[in-house]
Amino acid sequence: MRRWVLVAACSIALSGCAVPHARDDTRPAKTAAQEAEITQVFQRYREVRASAVELLDPKPLSTVETGAMLQIDSGSFEVAQRLATKGQDATGPVEVVDVETPRFGKYPLWFYAVVRDAAQDVKRVQIFERASSVDPWLLTASPETLADTALPDLRHRGGAAVTVAPDDGVGLSMSAQEAAAAYAAVLSDPEAPESGEVADDSFIQQMRSTATTNAALPDVRFSQTWQAEDVRYALRTADGGALAFVTLTREDTYAVKEGLTVTWPEGSPQQAFLSSGIAGSGRLTYNHQVLLYLPGGTEKPRALGQYGGVVSGDTSAAPAR
Amino acid sequence: MAMRTTAGWALVVLGVLVALAGGAAMVVLGPDSRFTTGPHAIETDDIAVVTAPDVIGWADVQVDLLAEVPVRKPIFVGIGNAVDVQDFVGRTQRLEVTGFQRPWDVDTREAGGTPNLPGAPTALDWWIDSSAGLGGASISTQLPDETISIAILSVGSSNLSGLEVTLAYGVKGGFGKGAAALLLGLGLVVLGLAVRRARPWDEEEPDDEDAVVLAAAEVEEEVVYVYVDDDGVEHEISAEEAAELQEVVEVVEVVEVEEVVEVAEPGPRPEVEPAGPADEDAAAEAEEEVVYVYVDDEGVEHEVNEDELAEFEIVDEEDRP
Repeated sequence: MRRWVLVAACSIALSGCAVPHARDDTRPAKTAAQEAEITQVFQRYREVRASAVELLDPKPLSTVETGAMLQIDSGSFEVAQRLATKGQDATGPVEVVDVETPRFGKYPLWFYAVVRDAAQDVKRVQIFERASSVDPWLLTASPETLADTALPDLRHRGGAAVTVAPDDGVGLSMSAQEAAAAYAAVLSDPEAPESGEVADDSFIQQMRSTATTNAALPDVRFSQTWQAEDVRYALRTADGGALAFVTLTREDTYAVKEGLTVTWPEGSPQQAFLSSGIAGSGRLTYNHQVLLYLPGGTEKPRALGQYGGVVSGDTSAAPAR
Repeated sequence: MAMRTTAGWALVVLGVLVALAGGAAMVVLGPDSRFTTGPHAIETDDIAVVTAPDVIGWADVQVDLLAEVPVRKPIFVGIGNAVDVQDFVGRTQRLEVTGFQRPWDVDTREAGGTPNLPGAPTALDWWIDSSAGLGGASISTQLPDETISIAILSVGSSNLSGLEVTLAYGVKGGFGKGAAALLLGLGLVVLGLAVRRARPWDEEEPDDEDAVVLAAAEVEEEVVYVYVDDDGVEHEISAEEAAELQEVVEVVEVVEVEEVVEVAEPGPRPEVEPAGPADEDAAAEAEEEVVYVYVDDEGVEHEVNEDELAEFEIVDEEDRP
């Protein structure tokens, strides 16, 4: 009897494996990237960045970074070039502690990764994006948090991280795009109506302190503006909230009384862009990538981390009146 | 009995059906396990022929596709996730296959766009399978469990005029699987017949392969007490009656109640242990102690030792008057 059962089981197993079957769902869908591909993306990024740091040249970075991320890093490389220093070196050993790959029905594809940099005692929360089927994977966002900052757990469906449309505010105090706009408004003006809608976090306090210091310069009219770009990356958190990557553009404008010059300390990024200082009027442009957490429910959005720097500086001879 | 007959017939019928299915698969698919159609001409002057995402709704089907163009024009054939393929050709003038019925009946539509592809298809890393050649190219792959599109693309400045397509589809190892199903069916038929003819299961003798490992059967000995009367006739009596008679006449027979049938895996053999001191004492006690007694003329008994025995005439107690 056992012999017959064995024969039957083997025959069924042989005839049953990989049987052609109709698929119920033929809608286009693709997991952003597979593990092997992600490993290659990280490896290539590290190699190119190491090469750029070695050459003190930001040009190779354009093959692995894009957008505000490339602008910020190019700015830091420019600072390093002008100051003839190695600058910020993020080529040390890092540990990829988490990778989340959403599913998409069309391009662009992107995935989320958390990288721990023990040397700098930070975590980088990164987004790699493939804009089209013919483009390579590029790093588009990399806000940094303290190493011990707890990141919210993400929600999954079918093994893939769940994304949130930037204008979807269901279950949240506001949508990710509205939160970005409110955050920029509060940074521009502490008395803005939106000040009650976002948390007064450490990033806002730090930026406000810097603005206050600059505004206190005698015979200098200082103004600071913030603009939020369109939110492109947002993930649903397990608590029903959202984790949004917000890019903010900050412009510091200086109008200096005739006969005076505003200068910055040696070795500072501002000094690298405006080496002779500002006589008359001048402007420094910054990009900041902020990791904004919108808790589920009615809690206020707050920043968990940021990465930013000077991306350009220009002066005009016209003196302030 | 009736239940066995029904079960046997059911197995026979099932076996015939499975065997027929397996045989049919072998006949239809043939030794190469696939069904081939073509070459079929496709009228187009475009540079791309692509299947729409919902055309291929099967998974685990083995597909072989050969695309040929005249005068050794360069051609590319690829299969990829529909998200990738549709993004790649989405802005290119193309012939889109919107329906397919076996063996070869295709519905197509013209889709507008630019007269060129956004990049070289051979440079992309997301094709599941692809091939390029001069005058023809072919792929052979098993359809994955995801939404896919097949693309036939012209490489360089030529187009796909004169395109002919040969398609083969089947089941990888289908002939072997059909044979397995055939064998399974025949096995079920034989099993069904065996079940019908078999004795009832409760009477079934264990066959060699299903042998039950029997422990050594214990041999019980039964003592039969027999009384022989004056005429020499034996009468079986119980132990109690024998005790009453205080006379065991004869142990006439040792009956083996159960024989050892087979010991397939003998158990641990009992070890013979030397008798301990307690056993020796018991044996010594078992020996009868002989007491020699001298009876004088007055009938008084006097105990004597063995050395004094020579002086007396030895008379057994039973012989005493």
